[in-house]
Amino acid sequence: MSSIERAERRTAFAFVAPALLWTLAFFLVPFTAMVLLSLAHLEGRDVVQAYDLGNYVKIFTDPSLLKGIFVSLEITMTVTVISVLLAWPLAWIIATQVPPKYQRLAIMLAVLPFWTSYVVRSYAWALVLGQNGVLMQGLIGIGLLDAPIQIMATRTATIIGFVHFFVMLLTLTIYANLIQLSPNYARAAADLGASGWQTLRLVILPLTLPGIMTGAFLTFVLCIGDYITLQILGGNNELSMPQLIMLQLGRRGDFPMASALSVVLMALVTLAYAATARWLKMDRV
Amino acid sequence: MTADVALQSISQSFGTFQALDNIDLSFGAGEFVVLLGPSGCGKSTLLFILGGFLSPTSGTIKIGGRDMDGVAPKNRPTTTMFQDYALFPHMSLRDNVGFGLRMKGMGRAARNAKADEMLDLVGLQDKAGRKPHELSGGQRQRVALARALAVDPDVLLLDEPLGALDLKLRRQMQDELKVIQRKVGTTFVHVTHDQEEAMAIADRIVVMNQGRVEDFGVPEDIYLRPRTLFTANFMGDINTLPVDLHSAEPGMTYGARPENIGLSGDLSLGPARLESTAFFGTYHRCHFRSTDDHAAPYIAHLALGELPQVGATVPLFASNVVALQAAP
Amino acid sequence: MRALSYAYLVAIFAFIFLPVVVLVLFSFQAGRLPVPPFDGPSLKWYAEVLANRGLMEALRNSLFVALISSSIALTLGFLAAQGLARVHLPGSVVMRGLLIAPMTVSYLIIALGLLSMFNVIGMRPSLWATGIGHVVINLPLCFAIIFAAMGDHQKNAERAARDLGASELQVVALVTAPMLKPALLAAFFLSVTFSWDEFIIAFLLTRFDVTLPVEIWSMLRSGLSPATNAIGSLVFLVSIAILIILELTVFRKPKL
Repeated sequence: MSSIERAERRTAFAFVAPALLWTLAFFLVPFTAMVLLSLAHLEGRDVVQAYDLGNYVKIFTDPSLLKGIFVSLEITMTVTVISVLLAWPLAWIIATQVPPKYQRLAIMLAVLPFWTSYVVRSYAWALVLGQNGVLMQGLIGIGLLDAPIQIMATRTATIIGFVHFFVMLLTLTIYANLIQLSPNYARAAADLGASGWQTLRLVILPLTLPGIMTGAFLTFVLCIGDYITLQILGGNNELSMPQLIMLQLGRRGDFPMASALSVVLMALVTLAYAATARWLKMDRV
Repeated sequence: MTADVALQSISQSFGTFQALDNIDLSFGAGEFVVLLGPSGCGKSTLLFILGGFLSPTSGTIKIGGRDMDGVAPKNRPTTTMFQDYALFPHMSLRDNVGFGLRMKGMGRAARNAKADEMLDLVGLQDKAGRKPHELSGGQRQRVALARALAVDPDVLLLDEPLGALDLKLRRQMQDELKVIQRKVGTTFVHVTHDQEEAMAIADRIVVMNQGRVEDFGVPEDIYLRPRTLFTANFMGDINTLPVDLHSAEPGMTYGARPENIGLSGDLSLGPARLESTAFFGTYHRCHFRSTDDHAAPYIAHLALGELPQVGATVPLFASNVVALQAAP
Repeated sequence: MRALSYAYLVAIFAFIFLPVVVLVLFSFQAGRLPVPPFDGPSLKWYAEVLANRGLMEALRNSLFVALISSSIALTLGFLAAQGLARVHLPGSVVMRGLLIAPMTVSYLIIALGLLSMFNVIGMRPSLWATGIGHVVINLPLCFAIIFAAMGDHQKNAERAARDLGASELQVVALVTAPMLKPALLAAFFLSVTFSWDEFIIAFLLTRFDVTLPVEIWSMLRSGLSPATNAIGSLVFLVSIAILIILELTVFRKPKL
């Protein structure tokens, strides 16, 4: 290797170094520390390092903790499926039915509520879904209900709140995928005798799988790790993993257990990644 | 199958832009017709109209005598080969080629058999289970052809299919297209901007410019006896001769191709000076300029051994002079 | 088909905008509760919010943290993208993976990790701690966006500049950065948005000086009030205004 090339390499390394150091110091090290902490125990007020899987055993044997995993998975899967089902038609309609010059406006309108603060948006749903909120009063007003029913502090409210957010996210990822497709695919299918539905089902839908999977993965990660929406809309009847983690932190100061729960959460995310990896093309970055 | 095509008074405008202006053409069944012209001349628009992806602003299209007004692409006896091939990336070659047959309701076994047959026609039978992204550009193009022909169309429409290939591959594909067309007998309508390609494969060439038909005929006529100045210029070099050298009719120009300009011939162009020359293998391409008042430039192809000294003045002649309609 | 499509469009948009409409509408509530019936428009809650020192400080803090952490994330991300794009370094795949990794980790876990680490080294929760966390979440984003935007077009321009005698610093400042302007702006804008809106890291890593989302959270603990609507609507409307301004000035399609 010539000295010019060596110098170039040194410069390149120098450029990358700060970002790497930051990631190392403030992500990798804390993460490793957290994993190590999960192998410790809280005794009284002290953290005792034992390098055993005691916390993990507890997670999988204590019903209240184990339930948290199921709650998180059930809610996240439900939210992901519903959001995809609602978002795909929306993305498709904007990409194909809306005249091109209005498409940008349409997609921006579709994601406008992104710009309310996340906390505020969940709060707004609390207002809508409350006993004397807009929804209840509206349904009673038009005669569909006699008396207010409880939606707030139930899983339904949580799911509505999540779906609202993730429909917007998924619409974006699927739309981005759709407009990149060559118009000749649909033309070729029609040319070869396919009806509108057949073209959609056999050609367009499969071609949007990368967009769907990317969005679904993001939905999974964000949803399973979310604390706010569940706290505001879900109440304390069934606790998700983030809620359990915060509980361990706040009430008991049990860092080791909180860490162990976090590691389990990470494991679930990794499984989701493995399932959707071949569509994600993260290696192209 | 095959059918004849009749285009009557086809016009197409997009807003204020007139893409096609009163086109009248008819092609016989089994003909290989090439639509030739520069970008923006309307050739692709005409192809899309034939395929049913665009409805003409006015005019009629008849394929096999049937009026195609209001008939969607899926119901027309045409299939199109798109410029980017549009092979379905998530399907194998076999499923791609069999797609049209599936739409017709053919069962899986039958259509797989037919698909394999078509892939064999284009020489890709052994790769039937692969996906498009595993193939090269030339191979993908053949699959697109197989897919389009699998449904047995009366007319095959090709939208600049060879544009993405390098020269050698393009020449090879031109020959193959010709062979396949002869074999299946379908009417082919092929769009290109490459005049050499047009001459190599067409039975007849339609030369288009700015939405109008400049010329229509067999390659020999188009090249040797072009109707208009545009056609002459598009098909190759043409020297326009000064007006007073010929009895001029109004609106007409006279021209001669470089291979018809030399040191002997029918029409005297007067003395001209050789300004520069380049060797082209089988001839010398020479730039002359006449020494009279016109100072007219001429490009001549002189045979090997006939080359005068650079700077010398020699008498120049033209043969096979053609009368060309100037721009309207 | 078209009628069905537009019907669906309207229905979904109604769903998407429902909470926003309720939020903004009841920020003008004259009564005490932000629920129907709506009695007369009143600006009293806006007045209260703007006079609320805690809220206003939190707002300033959010801005502060967002701008600084985003600037740092952008700079680090830009340098890293430059470094990796230039020369093929050994282990570049690993480096890229490491830089991207935080994007797939829940913010809660990042917050927890930092909290544990700061506890160990004795660092108190503060806005700076939050800022550090925000750089962690935005650095991968900035890196990814800028790296993806780098292409041959811009690499060739850099080569030409070097050929004409420019130093490395000049190349970066005069050629690379201007050519990547859309990506740089998009990355910065997104980082500011994510930082500004971020809750869990701020919640766990601040104590006395808080960011706006944390302050709003505290407001929620004390029940429903149109004041929350007011601050929420304020944040929303300001964000929209900035977005419109950016759309009209920066994100216009450049006429090349």
